[in-house]
Amino acid sequence: MPSIKDWLQNVGLRKKEEALSGDAVEALRTTFQTRYHSFKLLLNANNKALEIMAELEEARSGNKPFGMFFVNARCTAACVSVYRAVEILNELAPEKYSALYESFRSIESKIGEIIRFAWRPTGSEPRVVPLRSLDITQSNLAGNKLANLGEIHKRLGIPVPNGFAISSRAFQEFMGGDLQVEIDRLMQSSSPEEMDEVFLLSTRIQQQIRVTKVPEELEKEIFAAYGELKAGEGEGLRVAMRSSAVGEDSSRTSCAGLYHSELNVGGDNLIRAFKEVIASKYRPEAIMYRINRGIRDEDVDMCVGCMSMVNAAAGGVVYTRSPVEGSDGRIFIHSTYGLPKAVVDGSVESDTWVVARSPLRIEERHFGQKREKIVCDAEEGIRQKKVPEKDRLLPSIAEATVLKLAATAIRIEEHYGCAQDVEWAVDEKGEIVILQCRPLRLPGAVELHMRQPAKAPASSILAAGGVTASPGAACGPVFVLRKDSEILSFPKGAVLVVKQALPRWATLLARASALIAEQGSAAGHLANLAREFSVPAIVGLEGAIDRLEPGRLVTVDADGGCVCAGRIEALLAGREKSRQLMEGSPVLDALNRAMERITPLNLLDPQAPEFSPSSCRTLHDITRFCHEKAVLEMFSFGKDHHFSEKSSKQLMCDGVSMQWWVLNLDDGFKEEVAGKFVTLENIASIPMLALWEGITAVPWAGPPALEPGSLVAIMLESARDPAMEPSLPSPYKNRNFFMISKNFCSLASRFGYHLSGIEALVSERANENYVNFSFQGGAAMYDRRVRRVQLVVSILDEFGFHSEIRGDSVTARAEGEDEEAMIQKLTVLGYLLIHTRQLDIAMTHDAICAEWKQKLLTDISTVLLPKFQDRAAHI
Amino acid sequence: MEPIKVLIVDDEVEFLETVVKRLRKRNLDATGVTSGEAALDQLAKSPVDVVVLDVKMRGISGLETLREIKRKHHPVEVIMLTGHASMEAAMQGMALGAFDYLMKPAQIDELVGKIEDARRTLTLAEKRHELGPRAVSNS
Repeated sequence: MPSIKDWLQNVGLRKKEEALSGDAVEALRTTFQTRYHSFKLLLNANNKALEIMAELEEARSGNKPFGMFFVNARCTAACVSVYRAVEILNELAPEKYSALYESFRSIESKIGEIIRFAWRPTGSEPRVVPLRSLDITQSNLAGNKLANLGEIHKRLGIPVPNGFAISSRAFQEFMGGDLQVEIDRLMQSSSPEEMDEVFLLSTRIQQQIRVTKVPEELEKEIFAAYGELKAGEGEGLRVAMRSSAVGEDSSRTSCAGLYHSELNVGGDNLIRAFKEVIASKYRPEAIMYRINRGIRDEDVDMCVGCMSMVNAAAGGVVYTRSPVEGSDGRIFIHSTYGLPKAVVDGSVESDTWVVARSPLRIEERHFGQKREKIVCDAEEGIRQKKVPEKDRLLPSIAEATVLKLAATAIRIEEHYGCAQDVEWAVDEKGEIVILQCRPLRLPGAVELHMRQPAKAPASSILAAGGVTASPGAACGPVFVLRKDSEILSFPKGAVLVVKQALPRWATLLARASALIAEQGSAAGHLANLAREFSVPAIVGLEGAIDRLEPGRLVTVDADGGCVCAGRIEALLAGREKSRQLMEGSPVLDALNRAMERITPLNLLDPQAPEFSPSSCRTLHDITRFCHEKAVLEMFSFGKDHHFSEKSSKQLMCDGVSMQWWVLNLDDGFKEEVAGKFVTLENIASIPMLALWEGITAVPWAGPPALEPGSLVAIMLESARDPAMEPSLPSPYKNRNFFMISKNFCSLASRFGYHLSGIEALVSERANENYVNFSFQGGAAMYDRRVRRVQLVVSILDEFGFHSEIRGDSVTARAEGEDEEAMIQKLTVLGYLLIHTRQLDIAMTHDAICAEWKQKLLTDISTVLLPKFQDRAAHI
Repeated sequence: MEPIKVLIVDDEVEFLETVVKRLRKRNLDATGVTSGEAALDQLAKSPVDVVVLDVKMRGISGLETLREIKRKHHPVEVIMLTGHASMEAAMQGMALGAFDYLMKPAQIDELVGKIEDARRTLTLAEKRHELGPRAVSNS
């Protein structure tokens, strides 16, 4: 770290006071613009990495199934983002952080090994798998649809048809070699902008599939499985051949109706029907669907389910929420006579039942005109059959069946943790059989974490809203943390309430029962840590600080997004930990092991000697390191670069030229100016204007009165340091240099004997906003200079700065707040810059310190802050 | 400011044409080719600012194409775009100097944002190059 004297000598005060040439000024500008751009790219890369970590954590602890494809894609994306951050940091400061590359490679290679091992197919997957042996961990093998059916049967004991899945391995064998090559050729040679081209392409491909022979081994296995099924179900067995696609993320896509299923198929037509289902992968709508989503054709495997055909007396669908009005949590059941296909296709006017939960009861019933029903033909296939007139308006199912269906659907919903769309049938014996279940597509955006309905009594809610950053509920006394100095007094088990979810509160997480932040996102550092520590957390809960009284006992319901008065047992007790659906699966295991190298944060304290590249054990460590160091590198611009008056413009304010010089690095001026001066009106730099507002808000009353003896003290001090002697010609004149762009400002300022540097970035993107302030020096004796620095820090503390004192110097920082808040902070800094100069002379006792603090704070609250309130009132 | 010149390289014709169309709607000067060889030919004839490059292609692969682009010192930034997440390919691409590595399906907003960032990086590098040894160092 260059000494303050070195820095001082550099601040535009070369002995000869040479001007920078035009080229050198241009070069300075380019350097600044490059650094600023790199800084923003690094922040973006870091944020992306943190978002991915949040996604991985969500998958790991959630109820939604996922496959190796997801794990591989997210881990790769996380590594790419972190690599970018490392690269950019090394561009910002060449040679300084090259050790990071090695740390990164070590972590990345371990993650890569874990992924590669799990991803590699063993080549020994079965071609045919019994349906009832499947569960959700095998969606890569049998497709989502069939894996789901197997899951609800295995885990919930819900009746599903008997049958088997023809796996993705079988599909790949069927497609392998010539068929896929031919399909690729056909696809390449068409241009799917014209719809009729798509139809033509589709027809050709489907035909090609129909005429391709099924490999012998596969055909044998299919027939063997069919034979076994027949032995169990009886000679007259007919089957349903259903599509079940792999390689599509069904939590985000709806493949409803894209593919083909064939019903009531006999043994002789098994292979034909199998090929028909596979061919449906190339229906026109399916081709367009994949094109629009950029999904590669060869990434979609079509598995086929062969299931005993249910000769339904009645059938239909259940939605566990209104598909139209997502907030309506009642169960919606549609039913008709015969096969449920009639309801699914929407071809028949069905009966509708609306069932309320807890207790389960039928609230509404509408009977449709059921003129026709779909039934199995005696031989094969299905046909429409007229319903006798007398039966048309009668209910297609009994009310007892309605309630049983609702109860079954609710069980499925609870198991998966999300609303369900369930296809069902009632067989000839009156038994319910589930034919299909999938997540119900609800209108509106999909949340990162499914918000549960708040169970707390409305009257007890003190604050509600925000985003669930970490699930759960907890109870404790409120502790509002505003300043760093309060950290040490944080009681164990308290609910930590803060304005911003800053990483430096992480040390408190181990002692907090819950976390509430007014700002921040579920993908931030602190949110990630809250999840790791299993501390329930809500972020983005505006106004929390005003509404939560310090010391008050509250219950935080992170899932329901609310904070309630007192201890509410109903929220705390009996919180079942959701069963991890993927438990025991190799996919979850791979994810867990990869995440050990991704999410844990070891580098907590930037001041600790362990905050170094060699201590990085995870990708999260590297992002934290890069972030801290990037700020350091970005905000030493003023120290590293300098210019003299002759290269810049002198500031003119109300017709008076000031002892302030301004260099425009980019877009800091509204208009380019010729000549020596730039007016204040022409300044576009947000941070500079904020500082200036503070600098000029209250006229300086001059240096404090010297007490007897002080002058001698000053002269003695000066004698020790010749550069400080006011009567000697000194390079240390009053100098103030601004380097600015619209969103950036660097101020190197010298007043008499003390020196300060301010660098700030203020834009509408809160997470990029920073203020760094450094301050040192003075004419008085050391102990008075120390008091003055302590005075400055105590005021900065009131305004949310994080400060560090070293003897008679201080560095302070504030970050991540919105534009208005940053402007306010800069205004306060500008005021302090002027009104604390030479104050060290007066700092004889601690009591005087306190008096001055009061005076300065009064000025700030009566002159500066009201301007912000006025501005807010006018918005 | 001049519209950003982008070259999309992808052997899936339908996807290529969709992306080119969408980028043009965002006022980018976008063109497409279906192979690495065609991309290298194109770059030799009429330079662009940013290349969006598929990884898995028939003929010379995306990574080979990237290697050639860097070897020939074409002044472009390259964004890799792939439907297959392969850690090895991604790290190789980044080590070869790719600007970023995106996975399909890519949101068009995200892609445009990356292209703009890449162009800015290129512009600043050109500026520094022009200023040459007169450029102020960081230390």
